Amino acid sequence: MKKKIPYSKKKALYGYGFISVWIVGTVIFFLIPLFKSLLFSFSEVTVDSGKTVTEWVGTDKYIKVLTEDEKYTEYLGDMLIETLWKTPLIIIFSLFIAVLLNQNFRGRTLARAVFFLPVIIVTGPVYKIISNDMETSGNNDIINSSTMFSTDLIGELLEFLGVYGISDRTGALISEVADNIFGIVWNSGIQILIFLASLQNIPRSAREVAEIEGATSWEYFWKVTFPYVSPFILANTVFTVIDSFTNPLNTVMERISDMRNEWAFGEASAMSWIYFGVVMLITGIIIFVLNKFILRESE
Amino acid sequence: MNNPSVIWIPQNFTLNVIKDTIKAMDFGNTLKNTLFLNVGCSLVQVCSCAVTGYGFARFSFKGKKFLFGIVIMMIIVPPQVISLPLYTQFMNFGIKGLFTVNLIDSMLTMYLPALTANGIRSGLMILIFRQFFKGLPKELEDAACIDGCGPFRTFVTVMIPNAIPAFLTVFLFSFVWYWNDHYMSSVFFTNTKTIALVLKNLDSELKKNLFNTVTVQLSSREQIVWKEAGCLISIAPVLLIYIFLQKHFTEGIVCSGLVM
Repeated sequence: MKKKIPYSKKKALYGYGFISVWIVGTVIFFLIPLFKSLLFSFSEVTVDSGKTVTEWVGTDKYIKVLTEDEKYTEYLGDMLIETLWKTPLIIIFSLFIAVLLNQNFRGRTLARAVFFLPVIIVTGPVYKIISNDMETSGNNDIINSSTMFSTDLIGELLEFLGVYGISDRTGALISEVADNIFGIVWNSGIQILIFLASLQNIPRSAREVAEIEGATSWEYFWKVTFPYVSPFILANTVFTVIDSFTNPLNTVMERISDMRNEWAFGEASAMSWIYFGVVMLITGIIIFVLNKFILRESE
Repeated sequence: MNNPSVIWIPQNFTLNVIKDTIKAMDFGNTLKNTLFLNVGCSLVQVCSCAVTGYGFARFSFKGKKFLFGIVIMMIIVPPQVISLPLYTQFMNFGIKGLFTVNLIDSMLTMYLPALTANGIRSGLMILIFRQFFKGLPKELEDAACIDGCGPFRTFVTVMIPNAIPAFLTVFLFSFVWYWNDHYMSSVFFTNTKTIALVLKNLDSELKKNLFNTVTVQLSSREQIVWKEAGCLISIAPVLLIYIFLQKHFTEGIVCSGLVM
């Protein structure tokens, strides 16, 4: 006998049906490991013939990691500072490139392909080798014969531009930024794409109106383009921050991996959770702050 | 390659370095392994993510918001956090008391999560599919429903043909991410070789294969030559795909509505 089930309930059941596979997988491959890792971070973990034995020790591991492990706190600080100055640069750079790539010019497809290339070949090892190569071949081995990557070029450039007497700190900052251009370009692929997509959503009529009203390109950018893309600036900022934090090549991540390789599971888990907490906190702050500056279309 | 006077312009061209590197990386076997793992995982992952994304896009049920929150979590939580418990879990995989198998170093460690939409960056893919299916007109399903199609049949016969571009985009990304993954595979695999892993350990492999000893000291300038060759041949396959399907990568992500 077929029981009558209301339509909406039936639909809900089908919904569960569609996501059931994912639910099973998530419980096994995501939620349980997540919970276990949280448990590990509060415990003394010993490995006994392939099985892990945990013993509850409370917040000991967290305190130990934060107070005793100098490397960890140092890396964490470095990481934060680096993200702090890299993120705005990446955002500005990718917006700039996206605006450029949105123009019509010959070879546009090729140009897009080139900027998107890093996303395709982001292999950690590949990146490591390439960027190492830049450093070693530029700075150590053949520094005298090649001026292209020598850092003092920046100093010379500043001198040439007539910028004298800047403080050492600013000087150091500028040359650090210049040294990292490669990394910034490399990390901007997805962001450029997102900006590009949002730029293409700007209605053509906006451009026409602006032209009729006699707006210059500069005004057009600030009055039309910028408000349109501002929600995506938020999305991109969040993406950039999370991306740079979860990059397996960053020093904190490497430190965590090292700890794991030393079988210090408890410490490694505690480190990851502190790290994760910091990332969440920063992302929250960014969303909170940027949300105030975003212009939204009237809802 | 050891001539210091050569900096930018090569003296003569040679394929010897590439040949050496191919030998050291055991490229044929590694490529076979990687492809087998990659293509399989990506296909399975795309299908499972599509089904899940569709479920999230078109049905309303209790706890949907909460469950979708978990999807977002999957995007944010770095794999490093869960990789360790996953490792121990795979070591004794199964139901406690009934049976357990050691899955470490088996390709199942990659296939199983992919099969259940929990593979590498699955959260993002579910999100893409969800956005995409949300963008499709609802009338499609209504028409199918009136014609007597159940939801599952509707999905297979009506929605999937419409979602081909999204499928292609996600598949390509999935492929690239599996190809580039060296973190998860380095956790789970000890003997199975994938290209990213081999590349990571290229140093020692090179020394073993070319000089028959691990202790040879090579200057970084010498090493670079082989390493770059390794880079080149390991990105070559992806690069080829990219060149041919470039349009689908860039345009596909735009129209599949990654942008929320």
